Amino acid sequence: MTAVTLAWTELRRAARDRTFLFFVLFLPFMVILLIGVTTSGFTQERVAVVQADRSAMADALVAGLDAAPGLRVVRATTRDAGVQRLRSGEVTAVVLVPAGFSSTLQSGGSVVVPVLSTGEVGSGGSTLTTIRSVVARQAATVQAAAFATRSVSGTFDQNHARALALQRESPTAGVRTEVVDSASSYLPLGFSYSAPTMLVLFVFINATAGGAAIIQTRRLGIFSRALAAPVRPRDLVLGEGLCYLTLAVAQAALIVLVGGLVFGVNWGNPLAATVLVTVWCLVGTGAGLVSGTLFHTPEQASAIGPAVGIAFGMLGGCMWPLEIVPAGVRAAGHLTPHAWAVDAWVTLLSRGGGLSDILGPLAVLSAFAVALLGTATLRLRRSLTTA
Amino acid sequence: MTPAPSTGAAPASAAARAREPARGGGDAYEDVLVASHLTRRFGDRVAVDDVSFHIAPGEAYGLLGPNGAGKTTTIRLVCGLLSPDDGSIEVAGIDVTAGATRAKARIGYVPQEVSLYPDLTARENLAFFGRLYRLSGSALRARVDEVLELVDLTDRADDRVDAYSGGMRRRLNIGASLLHRPELLVLDEPTVGVDPQSRHAIMESIRALGSSGLAVLYTTHYMEEAERLCDRVGIIDRGRLVAEGTRRELVARVGERDRILLSASGSLGSFAAACRSMEGIDSVDVSDSTVELLARDGRLRLPTVLAAASSAGASVRSVEVVEPDLEAVFLHLTGTALRE
Repeated sequence: MTAVTLAWTELRRAARDRTFLFFVLFLPFMVILLIGVTTSGFTQERVAVVQADRSAMADALVAGLDAAPGLRVVRATTRDAGVQRLRSGEVTAVVLVPAGFSSTLQSGGSVVVPVLSTGEVGSGGSTLTTIRSVVARQAATVQAAAFATRSVSGTFDQNHARALALQRESPTAGVRTEVVDSASSYLPLGFSYSAPTMLVLFVFINATAGGAAIIQTRRLGIFSRALAAPVRPRDLVLGEGLCYLTLAVAQAALIVLVGGLVFGVNWGNPLAATVLVTVWCLVGTGAGLVSGTLFHTPEQASAIGPAVGIAFGMLGGCMWPLEIVPAGVRAAGHLTPHAWAVDAWVTLLSRGGGLSDILGPLAVLSAFAVALLGTATLRLRRSLTTA
Repeated sequence: MTPAPSTGAAPASAAARAREPARGGGDAYEDVLVASHLTRRFGDRVAVDDVSFHIAPGEAYGLLGPNGAGKTTTIRLVCGLLSPDDGSIEVAGIDVTAGATRAKARIGYVPQEVSLYPDLTARENLAFFGRLYRLSGSALRARVDEVLELVDLTDRADDRVDAYSGGMRRRLNIGASLLHRPELLVLDEPTVGVDPQSRHAIMESIRALGSSGLAVLYTTHYMEEAERLCDRVGIIDRGRLVAEGTRRELVARVGERDRILLSASGSLGSFAAACRSMEGIDSVDVSDSTVELLARDGRLRLPTVLAAASSAGASVRSVEVVEPDLEAVFLHLTGTALRE
């Protein structure tokens, strides 16, 4: 009962702290938006299209290129303009849709679509492959329409429209490429990356900054006065823990809710996500309590706690994917709990994993939680009984 | 503040000292507080050294001593915030070490600093501390209203404490210790840093609480507070309780001697030495530009003292003769003046 009383009182105070509310209600979502938008375009290659034929069939080809995964079409008015953009690195390839593209195909002739590139190495190779597949896909419908026009009945346009419809309805077999080496796979990007990583970051940062409240309560003499009442030190430790856990869960729940509703994040397997959030909230609770016993002034906790949290977040992959950093930095990052939490979220959100796939990171995070909560409990209890 | 409603406790008369506790759970007891041979060390330093005293129901007991004398440590021992290395404490017949929870429920502790949440209202603060004493629901709400009335803060009950004046915070600080109707009110220098008007109000309210049957343990280094408020005074210095009794009993130990306070400059050392050799001067204390003498029939000694000052090369700017008080008692017992 005493623990609930203390937790409720501290929560009430937190709810009146405008700085705290800014960090809980506003800042996480600004950062989610910023990082999510920034990392959304990493997998798209820009392709310049010089369209000399303005027919519907040429438009369909350009639309097909723009809709292709990993391609983004930009317009160029002339071949030279396209080449200039290619040389400046603005685009990976230039697609030249020739004049008479549609009429030649309708009359049964063959058409060559020139593609200019700087070579087939690196991203250029995958871009050319994608362009070839788009052109081939359209060629298949043209061939089908030409065959039907010659052998069955109807006009070319009617048969081409039918062929397109049939193509849309036909089942497809796709290919997903994963580059597997000793430590990385494909990059988690967009809001599916920024939302969970900001959950990891802000639950931890707000907890460590919140350590200031414990220090303030101690310096105000509230703990000492409470201990003069029929209250045991463990009730106060439990109350503070309950307060920090509630704040961590509220912060996490808010990010999950807003992430899902506003940013369209699919949080993956519900059970696995719930377990992961719970364990991470316990890590945050422990960190907050440690902060409250480690620092001497509220100012220290407010300033140093978040700085440590941000540094851990950088090392642990909250600001950028650990897949893009050197192996040594990646290994160092896994000295922080953040890296394990981010690993688990990437497994859940980007690779469709379940609870069994994140048992390893969960075990490590649980160990962090136990260590932090144990340390915090001992330190807080000692500070209460020797005050 | 206005007086607390009566708890029904008997006044501190010999006939009424033995009584049953106000609430069940404790044994029958004569004194609300019995501290026996309390000793507490911090490393090599002995903060409280073999201190014993007792407080009867309705009695106000003052612990008078300078800063660092051991008053706060004694208070913390009484309230169960520290454990004694030796000795024992009983509150309402309950051993504070063995039955801490039951004993603490009978103590109202007013810490030296204002220990309240500044960002909560008075009502919220009182509700918080009331819940720590297991009050809840309508009983808690009613008691909070009573205490707000008691400390004269009903009109400001829903204002945040950080908007209060220093005196209002001090009153609320005391109010927070009264919610559970304690049998012993322990106040650790509750008037430190308070303006004279608020100090007067606080003193009056504590006096009223005492007269309503509440036992009061009051620490201070202000002699006039101890004289005005306390039925008995314990003088504590360097961790030891050097004397205790009523004001009359303590002053009698000095032998009705007066204090002569001289503000002077020049050769104060020579002047002090001359005073020490005078008949009727029992003690001499020199501090900065003040010479303090303890003398029998002080007014009669003044001409001799002033002549000695002149002979020693000391220039006297002002003279004050103070009749025996606790300050003089302290000077007599410890050889030093009672000052901050």
